[in-house]
Amino acid sequence: MKDVSLTIEPGDFVAVIGNNGAGKSTLLNTIAGTLPADAGQLTLAGHDVTRKSVAYRAKWLSRVFQDPKLGTAGELSVSQNLTLAQRHTGSMSLRRYRQASQDATYRELLKSLNMGLEDRLTTQVKYLSGGQRQALSLLMATLSQPDLLLLDEHTAALDPQTSRQVMALTQTIVETHQLTTMMITHKMSDALAYGNRLVMVQDGQIKLDVRGAAKANLQQDKLMALFAE
Amino acid sequence: MLITSIGQGLLWAPLVIGVFLTFRILDIPDLTTEGSFPLGAAVTVSAMLSGQSAVVASLLGFLAGCVAGWVTGILDTKLHMPSLLAGILTMTGLYSINMHVMGKSNVPLLTQKVLTNYLPATWSSDLQTIVVGLVVTGVVIALLIWLFKTRLGLSLMATGDNPAMSAANGIYTDRMVILGYMVSNGCIALSGALIAQSNGYADIGMGIGTIVIGLASVLVGEIFLHGRQMWVRLSGMVVGAIIYRFLLTVAMGLGFPVDDLKILSAIILVVVICLPILRTKVKTRQQLKRYLKQIGADEHESTTSSLKRQASPEGLLSRDGK
Repeated sequence: MKDVSLTIEPGDFVAVIGNNGAGKSTLLNTIAGTLPADAGQLTLAGHDVTRKSVAYRAKWLSRVFQDPKLGTAGELSVSQNLTLAQRHTGSMSLRRYRQASQDATYRELLKSLNMGLEDRLTTQVKYLSGGQRQALSLLMATLSQPDLLLLDEHTAALDPQTSRQVMALTQTIVETHQLTTMMITHKMSDALAYGNRLVMVQDGQIKLDVRGAAKANLQQDKLMALFAE
Repeated sequence: MLITSIGQGLLWAPLVIGVFLTFRILDIPDLTTEGSFPLGAAVTVSAMLSGQSAVVASLLGFLAGCVAGWVTGILDTKLHMPSLLAGILTMTGLYSINMHVMGKSNVPLLTQKVLTNYLPATWSSDLQTIVVGLVVTGVVIALLIWLFKTRLGLSLMATGDNPAMSAANGIYTDRMVILGYMVSNGCIALSGALIAQSNGYADIGMGIGTIVIGLASVLVGEIFLHGRQMWVRLSGMVVGAIIYRFLLTVAMGLGFPVDDLKILSAIILVVVICLPILRTKVKTRQQLKRYLKQIGADEHESTTSSLKRQASPEGLLSRDGK
């Protein structure tokens, strides 16, 4: 990537598209901290995090991975995974993590996913389906209401129907909590249908950045034409 | 014979628990074991010879193991070495350290009071060993059960299971891995301290083969006691340690010389790794036969064999799909 300058305003829902190898994953990984930036500066909610670790950045951002297995800990139960997503409790704390009052809250949250997870609090996550794991991963990422939510092609590994279900769920959660979101997708229809802003990455640079009405009026064939250039 | 095995097994149990922590919780085969076990023995015996009580000396042994674990942890996480190499380096370095601590390759205890001497002298030595083993292992297990009920323990488990997800959720995984190495090697050194007091001496070579003993005991224990709850898993480790000691005692009873025990340990490890794989294979074949009989397709022998080859068995060493 070179000469990339991108400012995401609070409340933005940015859809990022681009060809394979265009640099959209690099962009996302640089923001998340899994790839260090060679040059330049990265600020999150007013804090310079250019040289900070993934764990440090987790104060402000959450991420849903493309692979449902990456976003959750398979050996741990559903409720243990949800506890891990509660950032404010502190990961080094010597307090007991399991409280009975919490289970009721978790059950309520899981019910809203409509995936039948509310009765499976103690099930190990490795026994859930890919769709269920991804929905759980989405719930975990939004549990602490991050300043920035990163979605890394999070429906790409799912079958078409589950993919639609998870996408609808994403829309609901993002709208309810007014989350600032950046979503990478290779589905042009999703990029057009969701979000208030569209960014197109090509050859490591931002080729197109439209928002609001201009984005709403964008047509699929026009976008296709831009891809071909 | 069984009673002696129980006593010895309980003294070895902290080692098995330590290996369990790195191998099962953090998913790392840690070779530091071979160095931290004699380190615990060396530090404890030296401390006792210089006038410390057995309790203080044993705790010092535990702490020395924690330091050894810290070194491996730093090599692994901060210097980005493969964990196997990190363990090998610490293990090799510890040989010299252990020689310096002991001054010579074998240091006997003289008239010092060991842990079992705190118990009534009228008790048999087997009973004394069992009580000391029960108390020490009990304390270790109780502390670990408590640890894994805290948020820190949960972060530790998550780090071993899925480091990428853990980091994304704000867990400093490097710190967790280092902490895991420290607690694990502390337990292993504590076991070394107990064995040295039981044998009456510390020896530079007593660590050889301990990682194989530890791994074999972990796997044996999991065959007999398996569950998801931490107290079940940790108790399984104690059972594994005892059964392993019993197997060795039986072998010695059959006339195997002491020098052959190491190769026996290695063979036991190979067997316990292979057994579950074979069991899965046989089970799959039986299920397939039953199914084919049900649908009346016995004549399609050819499909059976091709399906059989496809069924990939999972051993104890591999973890189930995450």
